[in-house]
Amino acid sequence: MTDPNLIRNFSIIAHIDHGKSTLADRVLQLTHTVADRDMMEQLLDSMDIERERGITIKAQAVRVLYEADDGVTYTLNLIDTPGHVDFTYEVSRSLQACEGVLLIVDAAQGVEAQTVANAMMAMNADLEIIPVINKIDLPAAEPERVRHEIEEALAVPADEAILTSGKTGEGVRAALEAVVSRIPAPVGDASEPLKALIFDSYFDAYRGVVALIRVVDGRIAKGMRVRMMATETVTDVEEVGVRRPVHMPVDELGVGEVGYLITGLKDPALVKVGDTVTLEKHGAADPLPGYRDVKPMVYTGLFPIDGDQYPDLRDALDKLRLNDPALVYEPESSHALGFGFRVGFLGLLHMEVIKERLEREFDLDLLATAPSVEYHVARTNGEELIVHSPQDLPDVASVEHIEEPYLKSTILVPPDFVGAVMELTDGHRATFVNMQYLSKTTVEMHYEMPLSEVIMDFFDQLKSRTKGYASLDYEYIGYRTSALVKLDVLLSGKPVDALSFIVHKDKAYARGKVLTEKLREIIPRQMFEVPIQAAIGGRIIARETVKAKRKDVLAKCYGGDISRKRKLLEKQKAGKKRMKNLGNVEVPQEAFMAILKVDE
Amino acid sequence: MGEREENRDLGDDIAGFSRGPGLPSHFYFHVPFCRSKCAYCDFASIAGADPQAVFAVFSGMEAELRRWGVSMLPGVVETVYFGGGTPSLHVPQVLSVLECVHRDLPLRAGVEVTVEANPDSLSRDSVAALAEAGVTRISVGVQAFDASVLQLLGRCHDSRQALDACEAVADARLELSVDVICGVPGQSRASWESTLELAIGTGAKHVSVYPLSVEAGTPLAVAVDTGLIEDADPDEAEAMMLIAEEMLGAAGLRRYEVANYAVPGHESRHNSAYWSGESYAGVGPGAHGMVDVATARAVGILPPGAAEDTIRVRYAEATNIDGWLTGGLEVVELLNAGETAREDVMLRLRLATGVSVKQAREAGLEDVMASLAEDGLVERSVEADGWHWRTTRRGWLLGNEVFGRVWNGEG
Repeated sequence: MTDPNLIRNFSIIAHIDHGKSTLADRVLQLTHTVADRDMMEQLLDSMDIERERGITIKAQAVRVLYEADDGVTYTLNLIDTPGHVDFTYEVSRSLQACEGVLLIVDAAQGVEAQTVANAMMAMNADLEIIPVINKIDLPAAEPERVRHEIEEALAVPADEAILTSGKTGEGVRAALEAVVSRIPAPVGDASEPLKALIFDSYFDAYRGVVALIRVVDGRIAKGMRVRMMATETVTDVEEVGVRRPVHMPVDELGVGEVGYLITGLKDPALVKVGDTVTLEKHGAADPLPGYRDVKPMVYTGLFPIDGDQYPDLRDALDKLRLNDPALVYEPESSHALGFGFRVGFLGLLHMEVIKERLEREFDLDLLATAPSVEYHVARTNGEELIVHSPQDLPDVASVEHIEEPYLKSTILVPPDFVGAVMELTDGHRATFVNMQYLSKTTVEMHYEMPLSEVIMDFFDQLKSRTKGYASLDYEYIGYRTSALVKLDVLLSGKPVDALSFIVHKDKAYARGKVLTEKLREIIPRQMFEVPIQAAIGGRIIARETVKAKRKDVLAKCYGGDISRKRKLLEKQKAGKKRMKNLGNVEVPQEAFMAILKVDE
Repeated sequence: MGEREENRDLGDDIAGFSRGPGLPSHFYFHVPFCRSKCAYCDFASIAGADPQAVFAVFSGMEAELRRWGVSMLPGVVETVYFGGGTPSLHVPQVLSVLECVHRDLPLRAGVEVTVEANPDSLSRDSVAALAEAGVTRISVGVQAFDASVLQLLGRCHDSRQALDACEAVADARLELSVDVICGVPGQSRASWESTLELAIGTGAKHVSVYPLSVEAGTPLAVAVDTGLIEDADPDEAEAMMLIAEEMLGAAGLRRYEVANYAVPGHESRHNSAYWSGESYAGVGPGAHGMVDVATARAVGILPPGAAEDTIRVRYAEATNIDGWLTGGLEVVELLNAGETAREDVMLRLRLATGVSVKQAREAGLEDVMASLAEDGLVERSVEADGWHWRTTRRGWLLGNEVFGRVWNGEG
């Protein structure tokens, strides 16, 4: 157990790619927490997917021992956070365990959308903010300009901002000194009954659920009998320890300490993130403030290509949900695709990452239908329906009105690209709210727009139209009524429910046309002609045809070609397996996602 | 082709292993050298090889021939084929190998000997020398008689040379076969019809018609990918194949296989072996061969630990010249009875006469054939030995659908 005065709990927050993880690596190196030779680039990003994409998803907590300039060794608990707009939730969770943050801003890019968003969150949590201007080694670095931006855009004093380079290691020591001198030590009462916040968790096949905790009051030790206050679960403390970053068991954790807790519990439902751990007997009276339940923003249907994998998909989702409470799902069935799940995510990136994890970690072959949002339908008979899947939308005749979720989006761009942004938002049903200059080089634009418009590759388009300069953040602001209709797609005259989607009536015709054209390109020629039709309420609004295949033969088949030809035929057969056969039409997976990429 | 079939019992074809090892009836020599690579080529051949490599390869072929000869396997050789690459580039060496063939292998009287040639490397003298050495057929790689098509294909000869080469072969009284390609980007119907007319005009009694396929990694593929050349309309290729069938048919050349036309009696006996399940030896870098398991064992091609139920062995000699010189076999495929039976049915369906209903049934493909018939891809016909399944016109053009279902055994 450590003297709380010698503890500092902090997070590193930043816009994506501003260098959090590299800086975290430097901290680990500087404090000799990880031997240099063991240093794998960005050690804290322990998931393969994260490393591949260069992003951080899971909040990881590491304890480092730092010998400060005053000769005293401090215990620093570093909690790494994600920077993507999807994972705001993760950021707020880890902030609950800290007293301060290092706010990283790229010396060349300057203040971007999530810099602002994360800074706001830190301020709302009453944390001490230490600005850090990173990547000063870059030729394009302009620390002075960025210093101004920080002060103007965030109202955070930046005269004492630390200049660092994650690449060279410059300034890292100064940053740690700032952590020691400017971030307050944790405050808590050792004599009070135990109160520890579970701010993260994951599942270990051998040990069960591993919870990451921050002790607020009291102490927690091996052998104690504890109670999870929200789930009312009582269990024994099998082990507590700290992450260095590998697990190092300790006898007990005291006020202000951050570490892990293993209880031997295997059921993820019993160890909830946000819950408070206390003693079974004479425990704390009130739990710590938990967090708001995060609402998923985007839904997609996930179906196993092979129906036999359905139970495996269900188990996999259960396991993933353990350490990702933002993941929600419910069973869904589709005429065309069989049994699957409608899964809710915090955003498109969240969705892609989960899908990849399911396919990779659990070895599933999945088909994803285009993402959609949650609609609120008021029927003429007064009934209110919540619709996640377009196929659940009732008949147009029985619908009084439909509401869809709206967002307030914040876009930061250099002034040169304001026009491009306006053009883009124009085509996405966005209403302009206001605009202001954060600095000479950054304009902040506010729009209100439907979430469903954002999930349709809006972010990618924003990036490409602004040469990558723009950044986006959004915030849910409630439901609004819209003139929405359901677009159906028919193949060979039969409706394919999995291809339906909900669209604003003004865009229905255009979208229907583009979609049928796209499908005509994606669906391979079959032995017969395939008519593709888009319809609204039974009325056909667009039509394309995939011509029948007339020639498909390998003409040269002599001695040396025979083996090759047979292998080709086997490959073609395997290729067919990856397609879904819908009423005799072989449809590749891409078809279901074609809706997403529809551009006006 | 007809007479050989009568003498053969169906049992012999499939249960070849019970006959014991035998000399393959067909020998294929692969000459992997060309003057230059054509834009569409993805075969095993190299351009501008040095004389040492050429010498080494041909010497190696002769050595391999000797090994076959020394093996004393029973049987006679019915056909010999020199393919490539461009065999006509190295006539003296081909002649030398032919000498060894005559010396080391038992040949049937009237053995068919074919040599592939390109118009730019086939002089009258070469033709004479080849005829003298026992060559009975020359297959000329004309591809097209249209200069713009020739250019797009990257061929190194022109129409005039092609016509001259064909004339030389005809004059020497050798069997002439002409290769032509359709479905080439930018090739018009008129150009195609004119090429066919000229091909017919050479008096060739054998014509091969290939729709162009753009293979990945070839210069042609790159040109198409980068938009330099517009990809040909696949429906055009189909139309052109139909035109070829009509025009060649009117000139007395009957389509006897997916891509091959001949005046009856003048079919390529060597190529027919591929589609009739007869064994053939492949000699040279990149050459393929197919023998029964007993023969494979006898000549040391069968790998140790091969599955007990193997009855057919397909092998490929190393494509890389150095690898080949050190005696490498690149690929060995082992097929069991079921696979062999299905493969034989698949290959016979390439022939216009198709496969006997009995053979298809014995291969367990009755349901597959019935389903193909339902889809209008095969039909019944009567041949000399009874009822056959053969592809319809639609089945001819959609061959892969037929072959795929037969090989994969799916209805």
